[in-house]
Amino acid sequence: MSDDDTIDPADRGKLDAAEYVLGVLGAEERREVERRLMHEPRLAAEVAFWEERLGVLADAVAPVAPPQHTWSQIEAAIAPPQAARRASLWQSLAFWRGFGIASATLAAASIAALVYIGLIPATREQLMATLAGSSGQPNVVAAVTGNDLLVVPAALLTNDPRAVELWLILPNQRPHSLGLIHPGQAMRLTIPPDLAGRLTPDAALAISLEPPGGSPTGQPTGPVIASGRLTRL
Amino acid sequence: MDADAARSRELAAALVRVAGGDRAALRLVYQETSAKLFGVCLRILKDRSEAEDVLQDVYVTVWRKADSFDPGRASPITWMVAIARNRSIDRLRSRAAGGRFEPIEAADVVSDPAPAALERVELAQQQQRLARCLEELEARHATAIRAAFLDGATYEQLAARMNVPLGTMKSWIRRALLKLRACLER
Repeated sequence: MSDDDTIDPADRGKLDAAEYVLGVLGAEERREVERRLMHEPRLAAEVAFWEERLGVLADAVAPVAPPQHTWSQIEAAIAPPQAARRASLWQSLAFWRGFGIASATLAAASIAALVYIGLIPATREQLMATLAGSSGQPNVVAAVTGNDLLVVPAALLTNDPRAVELWLILPNQRPHSLGLIHPGQAMRLTIPPDLAGRLTPDAALAISLEPPGGSPTGQPTGPVIASGRLTRL
Repeated sequence: MDADAARSRELAAALVRVAGGDRAALRLVYQETSAKLFGVCLRILKDRSEAEDVLQDVYVTVWRKADSFDPGRASPITWMVAIARNRSIDRLRSRAAGGRFEPIEAADVVSDPAPAALERVELAQQQQRLARCLEELEARHATAIRAAFLDGATYEQLAARMNVPLGTMKSWIRRALLKLRACLER
């Protein structure tokens, strides 16, 4: 960088940092200085010296307000992958586990808390259900949020390769399928519009094991592993 | 001066929070510094949309590297100006060789507004010292130093703009830098 032979060789080393900070070097030379910076503390100290001393020259530059959208672009660039959709937060089983949930009972309390603090929108009538298996131990919690059903399989453990299907059972009717759920993942299911208005504390939810892809008949064909009534929150 | 010092302390504290992953703190830093840094980027790049791109990159860098900011060693604004200048200069260098020609006329460089601007504000010690040391240089050498810093121009561009041979420009700048170094250390 310092090819001027009229300059004392002892001074040339000092110039690399100064030229780098001043900004007169080409791209290649800049990369070289940056590579050296990583393992030459004296060079780094020189660069810091010049940045601090010459930096005040920037006061001569008039401030210019950047456009409004710049901040939102920065915000998007630094957003954690999880925050891309708020939904992904409660869909993450890790989140529920992080919440300290070891049982579906606790999950139920947590859902109530989330409704209370507004993370889950409250509707005119808040309904939820804890689904228990034959042992009586609750293993899935579900909450109605508007036209959606939030399902948290907090303690649903199954190594069964069969699909896990969720059913809505209205009084005196055949079960309606609400879709497949995944034992390892909280999820939001959409309640069919014709059923949404008919969710009352008389209705129940049930989970059955079905062939891959779900029940071929539209009705539960496998064993029901858990069920529970909707209750008002 | 006191207000500047208080602002600097606040910024340093905000950067420490940014290092801890505090997005609200980054927003605060952005609100306090973005106009200044955008001015710096714009001055070097002379292109609004490129300056916007680089500014975005600067704050993402601040977000990622805030933990390397050492409040004991650098002032927050100096640290951020250095990032903004480095990013802008890198962008400038990456433009196709012989692409955009510097639209600034030599006359603009000669009548650089820096001294007037420096006089207008209550000068901090650092600024006063640099101004004094620049005054000790030959006027055109000081002009070349300011133009190099503010515009991120290479030796070649400076030589063309000030209409002197490349070797002369290198010699001016290097000698000026060594003199400045000696003066600033005094």
